[in-house]
Amino acid sequence: MYLLEELSQKYKRISIVGMAKNAGKTTALNYLIEEAMDEGLTLGITSTGRDGEGTDVVTGTDKPRVFLDTDTIVSVPTQLYELADAGLEILKMTDYGSSLGQIMLCRVASSGYVQIAGPVINANHIELCEEMLALGAQMVLIDGAIDRKSIAAPGTSDAIILSTGAVLSRKMAKVVEETAHTVALYRLPVLESGQDRDLIEEHAINDQIILIRDGKPVLLDVTTGLGAGSILDSEIDDLTTHVFVPGAFTASTVADINPKKLKNVTFVLKDPTKIFIGATLWGQLRKKGLNIKVLENIEVAAITVNPTAPAGYRFDHRELVDAMQKAIPDIPVIDVML
Amino acid sequence: MADKTAVAQIDLTKVKPYGDTLNDGMTEVAFTLPVPYGDEASEAAKILAKKMGLDEPNVVYSKAMTPEYTFFVVYGKCQHTVDYTTIKVAKVDVDVMDRLECAEYIKENIKRPVVIVGASTGTDAHTVGIDAIMNMKGFHGHFGLERYEGIEAYNLGSQVPNEELIAKAKELNADAILVSQTVTQKDIHIDNLTNMVELLEAEGMRDKVILVCGGPRISHELAQELGYDAGFGQHKYAEDVASFVLTEIVNRNML
Repeated sequence: MYLLEELSQKYKRISIVGMAKNAGKTTALNYLIEEAMDEGLTLGITSTGRDGEGTDVVTGTDKPRVFLDTDTIVSVPTQLYELADAGLEILKMTDYGSSLGQIMLCRVASSGYVQIAGPVINANHIELCEEMLALGAQMVLIDGAIDRKSIAAPGTSDAIILSTGAVLSRKMAKVVEETAHTVALYRLPVLESGQDRDLIEEHAINDQIILIRDGKPVLLDVTTGLGAGSILDSEIDDLTTHVFVPGAFTASTVADINPKKLKNVTFVLKDPTKIFIGATLWGQLRKKGLNIKVLENIEVAAITVNPTAPAGYRFDHRELVDAMQKAIPDIPVIDVML
Repeated sequence: MADKTAVAQIDLTKVKPYGDTLNDGMTEVAFTLPVPYGDEASEAAKILAKKMGLDEPNVVYSKAMTPEYTFFVVYGKCQHTVDYTTIKVAKVDVDVMDRLECAEYIKENIKRPVVIVGASTGTDAHTVGIDAIMNMKGFHGHFGLERYEGIEAYNLGSQVPNEELIAKAKELNADAILVSQTVTQKDIHIDNLTNMVELLEAEGMRDKVILVCGGPRISHELAQELGYDAGFGQHKYAEDVASFVLTEIVNRNML
């Protein structure tokens, strides 16, 4: 399947997000890089963590190296520059620091293996992507780190590729279930345009919590939803229809809100990456009537599966792809190990 | 048989432990096995040491810990070597200033109090790390951040939920957040540190604070992977952290 060709027509920036570490993000990255080589597409490559080193710094397991073709634009910090086996032409020293040194933008002059790392702050990635596109990249791929999902936020990239695999659980059904849950979260209903949405967007500038009570906005003098569950509980009354929380929406915030009030309002979040509620609790809350809408959801362009876990067990390639595709019928599922 | 003759010159591409003579590989290891004390136990320790790559293992000490457990000290000759010349370690690229130089740096370059909030987060009950960096008396003759002129240091202590630490940082409008993780069993520190970064991103605060992690198993490379600006491991003191934070405030133009 020529995945990249299709993606490149729709999106300029794609993040590769992992369901877990060792879910096969870098393998998915390599898969796309290979397709780009076949098609002569010039890629920009960056990472929220680090890529291309031989051994994983967290698990100690072997990591796939990353081979880049000539003309690829890549972000490399100063301390990893010397470790590249490819010839790198330094185009620009960026303003972004990292714990591995200042981030440089390089063009691959002669193809070879490169160790990649980018800014650790998502906001910086947005700017970096723009620079890579301006330098001639036709499409930018951002490789995620560990299971950090904030990189999936719609502001950072146009779409994501979700990497999942056997590492999640020894039970295939569980792997499928957890992946489907994440995909469902990323496709939460979007708050339809109209008066409520207009009110929220108009008043959301200062990152305050906004209640819509009887069709009128009420701005709470709270700078964060964290630890503000009890305040929300006392503020939500019978006339409240919507609660806009600009930042993280966590299990402990929800726990402080009376369940009866919970089901009478719609919580509005900026995007699904703001949700910090585990799959089990999420299911329970939904049954109790928790209603969440987002201003923007996340475009999942493809799902990659890795049937092998570092712990040594593996699933049948075909079986895993089929089970995943059955659970998530409208997004292409690709086995990157085949 | 391993080569027993001592080579008299140092070859940095093949470094091995030094005991009595260069390159003899002499190594001491200590461990406990879940077996009762006795000759069989000592033999088990020897076999294990061989598997570790220690030639001619010698159990020099063994003692029953409980009726079922035995502690051992084993000597042996390490057969492995390390190519020292190819080693690269990521380091904080900052000139370290002492306490008084830091105060001077704040006065000259930042011209306002610098607010630093720190805690040992999640389930971690150990304050040793965060105290060493933040508390007035510091550690090992290195005074902590509380004693630094121009720095307002808030040490929230241990077992602080990430959410609480972030809420406090927001309330104080902190320049930097220090997260300490001492307990690392089953990589719990990874989950904890990752959750912290993700919450900060969700709160839209990540680009507004300098985020530093510290602990015995924290390195700079790990910090990059987790999304922190810096990571400080063993043998780092308040001045290392302060120098990094202050320089970063100026570099990032957070004045």
